[in-house]
Amino acid sequence: MSPRPLAALLALAGEAVRDAVRRRLAAALALLSLLALLGVESCTSCGAATFTVQGVPFDATRFLGWTGMILYALLALWVVALSGALASDHLDQALADGSALLALARPVGRGSYALARLAGALAVTLGTGALLLGGAAAFLRARYGLPLGPAVAGAGCAALAAVAFGALAMTASLFLPRLATAALVFVAVVAAAAANAAALSGAELGPLWDAVHRFAPPVGSALALAVADWLGRDLPISPALVVARLALWAILAPALLVLVFARLDLGRRA
Amino acid sequence: MISFARVAAVEWVAVSKRYGRRTALGGVDFALPEGAILGLLGPNGAGKTTALRLALGQSRPDAGRVRVAGRDPEDPASRAGLGWLPERLALPPHARVAGFLRLHARLAGLAGRRAEEEVEAALATTGLAERAGETCASLSKGLAQRLGFALALLGSPRILLLDEPTSGLDPLGVRDARAWIQAARGRGASVLVSSHVLSEVERTCDHVVILARGRVAASGPVAQVVREGESLEDTFLRVVGEAPPA
Repeated sequence: MSPRPLAALLALAGEAVRDAVRRRLAAALALLSLLALLGVESCTSCGAATFTVQGVPFDATRFLGWTGMILYALLALWVVALSGALASDHLDQALADGSALLALARPVGRGSYALARLAGALAVTLGTGALLLGGAAAFLRARYGLPLGPAVAGAGCAALAAVAFGALAMTASLFLPRLATAALVFVAVVAAAAANAAALSGAELGPLWDAVHRFAPPVGSALALAVADWLGRDLPISPALVVARLALWAILAPALLVLVFARLDLGRRA
Repeated sequence: MISFARVAAVEWVAVSKRYGRRTALGGVDFALPEGAILGLLGPNGAGKTTALRLALGQSRPDAGRVRVAGRDPEDPASRAGLGWLPERLALPPHARVAGFLRLHARLAGLAGRRAEEEVEAALATTGLAERAGETCASLSKGLAQRLGFALALLGSPRILLLDEPTSGLDPLGVRDARAWIQAARGRGASVLVSSHVLSEVERTCDHVVILARGRVAASGPVAQVVREGESLEDTFLRVVGEAPPA
Protein backbone atom coordinates (compact mmCIF):
# COMPACT_ATOMS: atom_id res chain seq x y z
CA MET A 1 0.00 0.00 0.00
CA SER A 2 1.35 3.40 -0.89
CA PRO A 3 -0.07 6.61 0.58
CA ARG A 4 -2.29 8.65 -1.78
CA PRO A 5 -2.34 12.07 -0.13
CA LEU A 6 -4.96 13.65 -2.42
CA ALA A 7 -7.31 10.66 -2.26
CA ALA A 8 -6.95 10.59 1.53
CA LEU A 9 -7.58 14.34 1.77
CA LEU A 10 -10.73 14.07 -0.35
CA ALA A 11 -11.99 11.07 1.62
CA LEU A 12 -11.42 12.90 4.91
CA ALA A 13 -13.02 16.10 3.62
CA GLY A 14 -16.11 14.15 2.50
CA GLU A 15 -16.33 12.53 5.93
CA ALA A 16 -15.87 15.92 7.62
CA VAL A 17 -18.72 17.41 5.57
CA ARG A 18 -21.00 14.51 6.51
CA ASP A 19 -20.00 14.95 10.17
CA ALA A 20 -20.75 18.68 9.99
CA VAL A 21 -24.14 18.16 8.35
CA ARG A 22 -25.14 15.59 10.99
CA ARG A 23 -24.41 17.88 13.92
CA ARG A 24 -27.24 19.46 15.88
CA LEU A 25 -25.26 22.70 16.06
CA ALA A 26 -25.28 22.91 12.25
CA ALA A 27 -29.05 22.36 12.17
CA ALA A 28 -29.58 25.03 14.84
CA LEU A 29 -27.40 27.54 13.00
CA ALA A 30 -29.14 26.77 9.68
CA LEU A 31 -32.49 27.38 11.38
CA LEU A 32 -31.27 30.69 12.79
CA SER A 33 -30.06 31.61 9.30
CA LEU A 34 -33.49 30.82 7.87
CA LEU A 35 -35.10 33.03 10.53
CA ALA A 36 -32.64 35.79 9.61
CA LEU A 37 -33.66 35.48 5.98
CA LEU A 38 -37.32 35.72 6.98
CA GLY A 39 -36.35 38.84 8.93
CA VAL A 40 -34.80 40.31 5.79
CA GLU A 41 -37.98 39.53 3.88
CA SER A 42 -39.98 41.37 6.54
CA CYS A 43 -37.56 44.34 6.75
CA THR A 44 -37.45 44.91 3.00
CA SER A 45 -41.19 44.65 2.48
CA CYS A 46 -41.77 48.30 3.49
CA GLY A 47 -38.60 49.76 2.00
CA ALA A 48 -40.10 51.88 -0.77
CA ALA A 49 -42.78 53.59 1.32
CA THR A 50 -43.18 57.35 1.83
CA PHE A 51 -44.07 58.40 5.37
CA THR A 52 -45.40 61.61 6.80
CA VAL A 53 -43.68 62.55 10.04
CA GLN A 54 -45.31 65.46 11.94
CA GLY A 55 -46.82 66.67 8.69
CA VAL A 56 -43.53 66.52 6.76
CA PRO A 57 -43.30 63.98 3.89
CA PHE A 58 -40.39 61.57 4.44
CA ASP A 59 -39.09 59.66 1.41
CA ALA A 60 -37.57 56.42 2.73
CA THR A 61 -36.21 55.49 -0.69
CA ARG A 62 -33.26 57.84 0.01
CA PHE A 63 -32.10 55.39 2.66
CA LEU A 64 -32.47 52.18 0.69
CA GLY A 65 -28.73 51.95 0.02
CA TRP A 66 -27.90 52.35 3.72
CA THR A 67 -30.58 49.87 4.76
CA GLY A 68 -29.38 47.35 2.22
CA MET A 69 -25.77 47.80 3.24
CA ILE A 70 -26.46 47.40 6.95
CA LEU A 71 -28.69 44.39 6.45
CA TYR A 72 -26.30 42.69 4.08
CA ALA A 73 -23.22 43.42 6.22
CA LEU A 74 -24.92 42.06 9.34
CA LEU A 75 -25.86 38.87 7.51
CA ALA A 76 -22.34 38.50 6.13
CA LEU A 77 -20.90 38.96 9.64
CA TRP A 78 -23.34 36.31 10.87
CA VAL A 79 -21.97 33.92 8.23
CA VAL A 80 -18.41 34.65 9.38
CA ALA A 81 -19.34 34.10 13.03
CA LEU A 82 -21.14 30.89 12.06
CA SER A 83 -17.95 29.66 10.46
CA GLY A 84 -16.10 30.18 13.73
CA ALA A 85 -18.84 28.51 15.76
CA LEU A 86 -18.87 25.40 13.58
CA ALA A 87 -15.09 25.19 13.35
CA SER A 88 -14.68 25.67 17.10
CA ASP A 89 -15.24 21.99 17.80
CA HIS A 90 -15.13 20.25 14.45
CA LEU A 91 -11.52 19.16 14.97
CA ASP A 92 -11.63 19.08 18.75
CA GLN A 93 -14.66 16.78 18.76
CA ALA A 94 -12.92 14.30 16.44
CA LEU A 95 -9.92 14.30 18.77
CA ALA A 96 -12.11 13.84 21.83
CA ASP A 97 -14.10 10.90 20.44
CA GLY A 98 -10.99 9.13 19.10
CA SER A 99 -11.99 9.11 15.42
CA ALA A 100 -9.16 11.52 14.61
CA LEU A 101 -6.59 9.15 16.10
CA LEU A 102 -7.96 6.24 14.08
CA ALA A 103 -7.63 8.26 10.87
CA LEU A 104 -4.18 9.52 11.84
CA ALA A 105 -3.02 5.93 12.37
CA ARG A 106 -3.19 5.69 8.58
CA PRO A 107 -0.56 7.22 6.28
CA VAL A 108 -2.31 10.57 6.56
CA GLY A 109 -0.48 13.78 7.41
CA ARG A 110 -1.78 15.86 10.28
CA GLY A 111 -1.95 18.88 8.00
CA SER A 112 -4.22 17.04 5.58
CA TYR A 113 -6.43 15.94 8.44
CA ALA A 114 -6.78 19.43 9.92
CA LEU A 115 -7.49 21.00 6.53
CA ALA A 116 -10.09 18.33 5.78
CA ARG A 117 -11.89 19.07 9.05
CA LEU A 118 -11.75 22.80 8.27
CA ALA A 119 -13.16 22.10 4.80
CA GLY A 120 -16.04 20.17 6.37
CA ALA A 121 -16.99 23.04 8.66
CA LEU A 122 -16.56 25.58 5.85
CA ALA A 123 -18.67 23.58 3.40
CA VAL A 124 -21.66 23.82 5.73
CA THR A 125 -20.95 27.48 6.53
CA LEU A 126 -20.48 28.56 2.95
CA GLY A 127 -23.48 26.55 1.75
CA THR A 128 -25.68 28.19 4.40
CA GLY A 129 -24.05 31.55 3.66
CA ALA A 130 -24.70 31.27 -0.07
CA LEU A 131 -28.39 30.63 0.56
CA LEU A 132 -28.65 33.39 3.15
CA LEU A 133 -26.71 36.08 1.28
CA GLY A 134 -28.14 34.99 -2.08
CA GLY A 135 -31.67 35.27 -0.69
CA ALA A 136 -30.95 38.66 0.86
CA ALA A 137 -29.38 39.95 -2.37
CA ALA A 138 -32.44 38.79 -4.30
CA PHE A 139 -34.79 40.64 -1.91
CA LEU A 140 -32.66 43.80 -2.07
CA ARG A 141 -32.59 43.64 -5.85
CA ALA A 142 -36.32 42.96 -6.25
CA ARG A 143 -37.58 45.43 -3.65
CA TYR A 144 -34.92 48.15 -3.47
CA GLY A 145 -33.54 47.86 -6.99
CA LEU A 146 -30.00 47.47 -5.63
CA PRO A 147 -27.59 45.88 -8.15
CA LEU A 148 -26.29 42.36 -7.54
CA GLY A 149 -22.61 43.05 -8.25
CA PRO A 150 -21.80 44.49 -4.81
CA ALA A 151 -23.67 41.63 -3.15
CA VAL A 152 -21.53 39.09 -5.01
CA ALA A 153 -18.36 40.96 -4.02
CA GLY A 154 -19.60 41.09 -0.42
CA ALA A 155 -20.29 37.36 -0.41
CA GLY A 156 -16.75 36.75 -1.69
CA CYS A 157 -15.30 38.86 1.12
CA ALA A 158 -17.49 37.02 3.65
CA ALA A 159 -16.17 33.70 2.29
CA LEU A 160 -12.55 34.81 2.71
CA ALA A 161 -13.27 36.05 6.23
CA ALA A 162 -15.09 32.77 7.03
CA VAL A 163 -11.96 30.82 6.04
CA ALA A 164 -9.76 33.05 8.20
CA PHE A 165 -11.99 33.09 11.30
CA GLY A 166 -12.89 29.40 10.90
CA ALA A 167 -9.23 28.41 10.84
CA LEU A 168 -8.40 30.68 13.78
CA ALA A 169 -11.32 29.23 15.75
CA MET A 170 -10.20 25.68 14.98
CA THR A 171 -6.67 26.52 16.13
CA ALA A 172 -7.95 28.11 19.34
CA SER A 173 -10.17 25.08 19.98
CA LEU A 174 -7.06 22.95 20.42
CA PHE A 175 -6.34 24.86 23.63
CA LEU A 176 -9.65 26.31 24.81
CA PRO A 177 -13.01 24.76 25.73
CA ARG A 178 -15.65 24.84 22.99
CA LEU A 179 -17.85 27.54 24.50
CA ALA A 180 -14.90 29.79 25.23
CA THR A 181 -13.66 29.36 21.66
CA ALA A 182 -17.06 30.14 20.16
CA ALA A 183 -17.46 33.20 22.41
CA LEU A 184 -13.96 34.37 21.52
CA VAL A 185 -14.75 34.09 17.81
CA PHE A 186 -17.97 36.09 18.15
CA VAL A 187 -16.14 38.80 20.10
CA ALA A 188 -13.29 38.83 17.55
CA VAL A 189 -15.63 39.13 14.54
CA VAL A 190 -17.64 41.91 16.16
CA ALA A 191 -14.52 43.72 17.37
CA ALA A 192 -12.83 43.59 13.96
CA ALA A 193 -15.97 44.81 12.19
CA ALA A 194 -16.60 47.54 14.77
CA ALA A 195 -13.01 48.81 14.60
CA ASN A 196 -13.21 48.93 10.78
CA ALA A 197 -16.58 50.71 10.88
CA ALA A 198 -15.35 53.25 13.42
CA ALA A 199 -12.23 53.96 11.34
CA LEU A 200 -14.31 54.35 8.16
CA SER A 201 -16.61 56.81 9.90
CA GLY A 202 -13.58 58.95 10.73
CA ALA A 203 -13.64 58.33 14.50
CA GLU A 204 -10.43 58.66 16.54
CA LEU A 205 -9.33 55.16 17.58
CA GLY A 206 -7.36 54.34 20.70
CA PRO A 207 -4.18 52.26 20.31
CA LEU A 208 -5.93 48.91 20.87
CA TRP A 209 -8.79 49.56 18.45
CA ASP A 210 -6.37 51.05 15.95
CA ALA A 211 -4.29 47.86 16.10
CA VAL A 212 -7.43 45.74 15.62
CA HIS A 213 -8.40 47.92 12.65
CA ARG A 214 -4.95 47.71 11.07
CA PHE A 215 -3.93 44.11 11.75
CA ALA A 216 -7.02 41.92 12.32
CA PRO A 217 -8.79 40.36 9.33
CA PRO A 218 -10.44 43.47 7.80
CA VAL A 219 -13.88 41.94 7.55
CA GLY A 220 -15.77 45.19 8.17
CA SER A 221 -13.71 47.25 5.72
CA ALA A 222 -13.98 44.58 3.02
CA LEU A 223 -17.76 44.30 3.35
CA ALA A 224 -18.20 48.07 3.39
CA LEU A 225 -16.04 48.41 0.29
CA ALA A 226 -17.92 45.66 -1.51
CA VAL A 227 -21.35 47.22 -1.04
CA ALA A 228 -20.26 50.89 -1.16
CA ASP A 229 -21.74 51.12 -4.66
CA TRP A 230 -25.19 50.87 -3.09
CA LEU A 231 -24.50 54.20 -1.35
CA GLY A 232 -23.18 55.74 -4.54
CA ARG A 233 -19.99 56.90 -2.85
CA ASP A 234 -16.33 55.94 -2.61
CA LEU A 235 -14.74 55.01 0.71
CA PRO A 236 -11.38 56.47 1.75
CA ILE A 237 -9.54 53.13 1.69
CA SER A 238 -7.75 51.11 -0.96
CA PRO A 239 -9.88 48.14 -2.09
CA ALA A 240 -6.81 46.26 -3.33
CA LEU A 241 -5.06 46.61 0.02
CA VAL A 242 -8.08 45.51 2.03
CA VAL A 243 -8.81 42.50 -0.17
CA ALA A 244 -5.12 41.55 -0.18
CA ARG A 245 -5.05 41.70 3.63
CA LEU A 246 -8.17 39.57 3.89
CA ALA A 247 -6.81 37.06 1.37
CA LEU A 248 -3.53 36.92 3.29
CA TRP A 249 -5.43 36.10 6.48
CA ALA A 250 -7.37 33.42 4.57
CA ILE A 251 -4.04 31.79 3.69
CA LEU A 252 -2.13 32.40 6.94
CA ALA A 253 -4.87 31.24 9.32
CA PRO A 254 -5.14 27.71 7.81
CA ALA A 255 -1.33 27.60 7.65
CA LEU A 256 -1.22 28.41 11.38
CA LEU A 257 -3.76 25.66 12.04
CA VAL A 258 -1.62 23.13 10.16
CA LEU A 259 1.52 24.25 11.97
CA VAL A 260 -0.02 24.13 15.44
CA PHE A 261 -1.80 20.80 14.86
CA ALA A 262 1.40 19.23 13.51
CA ARG A 263 3.20 20.08 16.76
CA LEU A 264 0.39 19.10 19.12
CA ASP A 265 1.02 16.17 21.47
CA LEU A 266 -2.07 14.09 20.72
CA GLY A 267 -1.07 11.61 23.41
CA ARG A 268 -1.82 14.20 26.09
CA ARG A 269 -5.33 14.67 24.75
CA ALA A 270 -6.21 10.99 24.26
CA MET B 1 18.81 -3.89 26.88
CA ILE B 2 18.13 -7.23 25.29
CA SER B 3 18.76 -7.01 21.57
CA PHE B 4 16.84 -9.34 19.37
CA ALA B 5 18.68 -11.16 16.63
CA ARG B 6 16.13 -10.29 13.95
CA VAL B 7 15.66 -6.93 12.26
CA ALA B 8 13.24 -4.66 14.13
CA ALA B 9 9.89 -3.75 12.60
CA VAL B 10 9.45 -1.16 15.34
CA GLU B 11 12.15 -0.04 17.73
CA TRP B 12 12.27 2.18 20.78
CA VAL B 13 15.85 3.34 21.45
CA ALA B 14 16.66 5.06 24.77
CA VAL B 15 13.17 6.55 24.72
CA SER B 16 12.03 8.87 27.49
CA LYS B 17 8.68 10.57 27.79
CA ARG B 18 7.35 12.71 30.60
CA TYR B 19 3.88 14.12 31.16
CA GLY B 20 4.44 17.03 33.51
CA ARG B 21 6.20 15.62 36.57
CA ARG B 22 5.27 12.04 35.78
CA THR B 23 7.77 9.88 33.92
CA ALA B 24 5.83 7.64 31.54
CA LEU B 25 8.95 6.13 29.98
CA GLY B 26 12.44 6.52 31.43
CA GLY B 27 14.95 5.61 28.75
CA VAL B 28 13.53 2.34 27.46
CA ASP B 29 15.10 0.16 24.75
CA PHE B 30 13.12 -2.57 23.13
CA ALA B 31 11.97 -3.68 19.72
CA LEU B 32 9.28 -5.56 17.87
CA PRO B 33 11.33 -8.07 15.87
CA GLU B 34 10.27 -8.56 12.27
CA GLY B 35 7.89 -11.50 11.91
CA ALA B 36 7.47 -11.92 15.67
CA ILE B 37 4.51 -11.66 18.00
CA LEU B 38 5.61 -9.50 20.91
CA GLY B 39 3.64 -9.25 24.14
CA LEU B 40 3.99 -5.84 25.77
CA LEU B 41 3.14 -6.24 29.43
CA GLY B 42 3.12 -4.08 32.50
CA PRO B 43 0.90 -2.86 35.30
CA ASN B 44 -1.38 0.12 34.73
CA GLY B 45 0.67 3.27 34.17
CA ALA B 46 3.81 1.31 33.25
CA GLY B 47 4.10 3.11 29.91
CA LYS B 48 2.64 0.60 27.45
CA THR B 49 0.13 2.95 25.85
CA THR B 50 2.71 5.74 25.77
CA ALA B 51 5.08 3.44 23.87
CA LEU B 52 2.33 2.74 21.33
CA ARG B 53 1.46 6.44 21.01
CA LEU B 54 5.09 7.20 20.23
CA ALA B 55 5.14 4.53 17.52
CA LEU B 56 1.96 5.94 16.00
CA GLY B 57 3.36 9.48 15.91
CA GLN B 58 0.71 10.76 18.32
CA SER B 59 3.41 11.93 20.73
CA ARG B 60 7.09 12.76 20.42
CA PRO B 61 9.72 11.32 22.77
CA ASP B 62 11.50 13.80 25.02
CA ALA B 63 14.69 11.82 24.40
CA GLY B 64 15.71 8.84 22.32
CA ARG B 65 14.11 7.76 19.08
CA VAL B 66 11.40 5.50 17.75
CA ARG B 67 11.49 3.94 14.31
CA VAL B 68 8.66 2.19 12.50
CA ALA B 69 9.82 0.18 9.48
CA GLY B 70 12.96 2.30 9.65
CA ARG B 71 11.08 5.60 9.52
CA ASP B 72 10.39 8.39 11.97
CA PRO B 73 6.77 8.00 13.19
CA GLU B 74 6.19 11.68 12.33
CA ASP B 75 6.50 10.68 8.69
CA PRO B 76 3.01 9.58 7.55
CA ALA B 77 4.67 7.02 5.27
CA SER B 78 5.76 5.13 8.42
CA ARG B 79 2.09 4.19 8.86
CA ALA B 80 1.69 2.72 5.38
CA GLY B 81 1.29 -0.98 6.09
CA LEU B 82 0.53 -0.47 9.78
CA GLY B 83 -2.65 -1.63 11.51
CA TRP B 84 -3.71 -0.33 14.93
CA LEU B 85 -6.36 -1.51 17.32
CA PRO B 86 -6.70 1.04 20.14
CA GLU B 87 -7.55 0.10 23.70
CA ARG B 88 -10.59 2.40 23.66
CA LEU B 89 -12.03 1.98 20.22
CA ALA B 90 -14.09 5.00 19.12
CA LEU B 91 -16.44 4.36 16.24
CA PRO B 92 -18.61 7.05 14.65
CA PRO B 93 -22.14 6.02 15.69
CA HIS B 94 -23.83 7.05 12.41
CA ALA B 95 -21.32 5.36 10.10
CA ARG B 96 -22.22 2.06 8.43
CA VAL B 97 -19.82 -0.79 9.13
CA ALA B 98 -18.81 -1.33 5.49
CA GLY B 99 -18.75 2.41 4.78
CA PHE B 100 -16.39 3.03 7.68
CA LEU B 101 -14.09 0.25 6.43
CA ARG B 102 -14.20 1.74 2.90
CA LEU B 103 -13.16 5.12 4.28
CA HIS B 104 -10.22 3.54 6.08
CA ALA B 105 -9.31 1.52 3.00
CA ARG B 106 -8.98 4.79 1.07
CA LEU B 107 -6.97 6.35 3.90
CA ALA B 108 -4.71 3.30 3.85
CA GLY B 109 -3.93 3.94 0.19
CA LEU B 110 -6.20 1.29 -1.27
CA ALA B 111 -8.33 2.19 -4.25
CA GLY B 112 -10.89 0.78 -6.67
CA ARG B 113 -11.46 -2.95 -6.87
CA ARG B 114 -8.59 -3.74 -4.49
CA ALA B 115 -10.15 -1.58 -1.79
CA GLU B 116 -13.53 -3.28 -2.19
CA GLU B 117 -11.92 -6.73 -2.06
CA GLU B 118 -9.99 -5.84 1.08
CA VAL B 119 -13.13 -4.52 2.77
CA GLU B 120 -15.05 -7.68 1.89
CA ALA B 121 -12.16 -9.84 3.09
CA ALA B 122 -11.94 -7.96 6.40
CA LEU B 123 -15.71 -8.27 6.92
CA ALA B 124 -15.64 -11.99 6.12
CA THR B 125 -12.59 -12.68 8.30
CA THR B 126 -14.04 -10.95 11.35
CA GLY B 127 -17.55 -12.38 10.91
CA LEU B 128 -19.15 -9.01 10.20
CA ALA B 129 -20.31 -9.63 6.63
CA GLU B 130 -23.95 -9.83 7.69
CA ARG B 131 -23.60 -6.58 9.65
CA ALA B 132 -22.00 -4.64 6.81
CA GLY B 133 -25.01 -2.37 6.31
CA GLU B 134 -25.64 -1.65 9.99
CA THR B 135 -24.51 1.44 11.84
CA CYS B 136 -21.61 1.27 14.26
CA ALA B 137 -23.96 2.39 17.05
CA SER B 138 -25.94 -0.85 16.69
CA LEU B 139 -22.91 -3.06 17.40
CA SER B 140 -22.39 -4.69 20.78
CA LYS B 141 -19.03 -4.25 22.54
CA GLY B 142 -17.79 -7.55 21.17
CA LEU B 143 -18.90 -6.81 17.61
CA ALA B 144 -17.38 -3.34 17.82
CA GLN B 145 -14.11 -4.99 18.85
CA ARG B 146 -14.40 -7.28 15.83
CA LEU B 147 -14.83 -4.18 13.67
CA GLY B 148 -11.70 -2.78 15.35
CA PHE B 149 -9.87 -5.93 14.27
CA ALA B 150 -11.29 -5.56 10.75
CA LEU B 151 -9.90 -2.00 10.67
CA ALA B 152 -6.52 -3.15 11.93
CA LEU B 153 -6.32 -6.06 9.48
CA LEU B 154 -7.47 -4.01 6.49
CA GLY B 155 -4.99 -4.27 3.62
CA SER B 156 -2.94 -7.02 5.30
CA PRO B 157 -0.56 -4.69 7.14
CA ARG B 158 3.08 -5.65 7.76
CA ILE B 159 2.94 -4.32 11.30
CA LEU B 160 0.07 -4.74 13.74
CA LEU B 161 -0.15 -2.80 17.00
CA LEU B 162 -2.94 -4.24 19.15
CA ASP B 163 -3.84 -2.62 22.48
CA GLU B 164 -5.89 -4.97 24.67
CA PRO B 165 -7.12 -6.88 21.61
CA THR B 166 -9.37 -9.32 23.44
CA SER B 167 -11.21 -6.65 25.42
CA GLY B 168 -14.96 -7.20 25.19
CA LEU B 169 -14.67 -10.39 23.16
CA ASP B 170 -16.50 -13.56 24.22
CA PRO B 171 -14.55 -16.87 24.31
CA LEU B 172 -15.31 -17.50 20.63
CA GLY B 173 -14.10 -14.00 19.83
CA VAL B 174 -10.92 -14.58 21.85
CA ARG B 175 -10.28 -17.77 19.90
CA ASP B 176 -10.89 -15.92 16.63
CA ALA B 177 -8.60 -13.07 17.67
CA ARG B 178 -5.85 -15.57 18.40
CA ALA B 179 -6.36 -17.06 14.94
CA TRP B 180 -6.24 -13.62 13.25
CA ILE B 181 -3.00 -12.79 15.03
CA GLN B 182 -1.43 -16.12 14.09
CA ALA B 183 -2.61 -15.72 10.49
CA ALA B 184 -1.04 -12.26 10.34
CA ARG B 185 2.25 -13.66 11.58
CA GLY B 186 1.87 -16.51 9.07
CA ARG B 187 1.97 -14.05 6.20
CA GLY B 188 5.05 -12.37 7.65
CA ALA B 189 3.52 -9.56 9.68
CA SER B 190 5.06 -8.36 12.95
CA VAL B 191 2.52 -8.12 15.76
CA LEU B 192 2.70 -6.25 19.06
CA VAL B 193 0.07 -7.23 21.61
CA SER B 194 -0.28 -4.96 24.62
CA SER B 195 -2.34 -6.82 27.17
CA HIS B 196 -3.10 -7.57 30.80
CA VAL B 197 -4.31 -11.08 29.94
CA LEU B 198 -1.09 -12.93 30.69
CA SER B 199 -2.42 -16.38 29.83
CA GLU B 200 -3.34 -15.12 26.38
CA VAL B 201 0.06 -13.51 25.88
CA GLU B 202 1.83 -16.67 27.00
CA ARG B 203 -0.23 -18.65 24.53
CA THR B 204 0.09 -16.28 21.56
CA CYS B 205 3.39 -14.43 21.79
CA ASP B 206 6.92 -15.64 21.15
CA HIS B 207 8.63 -12.55 22.59
CA VAL B 208 7.74 -10.46 25.59
CA VAL B 209 8.65 -7.08 27.07
CA ILE B 210 7.61 -6.28 30.62
CA LEU B 211 7.49 -2.60 31.49
CA ALA B 212 7.39 -1.44 35.09
CA ARG B 213 7.51 2.16 36.32
CA GLY B 214 8.52 3.40 32.90
CA ARG B 215 11.45 1.01 32.49
CA VAL B 216 12.00 -2.33 30.79
CA ALA B 217 11.97 -4.85 33.62
CA ALA B 218 12.43 -7.88 31.37
CA SER B 219 12.50 -8.60 27.65
CA GLY B 220 13.32 -11.34 25.20
CA PRO B 221 11.90 -14.57 23.84
CA VAL B 222 9.24 -15.94 26.17
CA ALA B 223 11.24 -19.11 26.72
CA GLN B 224 14.18 -17.04 28.03
CA VAL B 225 12.22 -14.58 30.14
CA VAL B 226 10.10 -17.17 31.92
CA ARG B 227 12.21 -19.26 34.27
CA GLU B 228 11.81 -22.98 34.45
CA GLY B 229 8.90 -23.92 36.66
CA GLU B 230 7.41 -20.43 36.41
CA SER B 231 4.39 -19.27 34.49
CA LEU B 232 4.43 -15.91 32.71
CA GLU B 233 2.24 -14.62 35.53
CA ASP B 234 4.87 -15.66 38.12
CA THR B 235 7.58 -13.97 36.08
CA PHE B 236 5.49 -10.84 35.66
CA LEU B 237 4.79 -10.53 39.38
CA ARG B 238 8.44 -11.17 40.22
CA VAL B 239 10.00 -8.66 37.81
CA VAL B 240 7.41 -5.97 38.43
CA GLY B 241 7.92 -6.33 42.17
CA GLU B 242 11.69 -6.00 41.80
CA ALA B 243 11.60 -3.08 39.34
CA PRO B 244 13.23 0.13 40.64
CA PRO B 245 11.44 3.45 40.10
CA ALA B 246 12.25 5.38 36.88
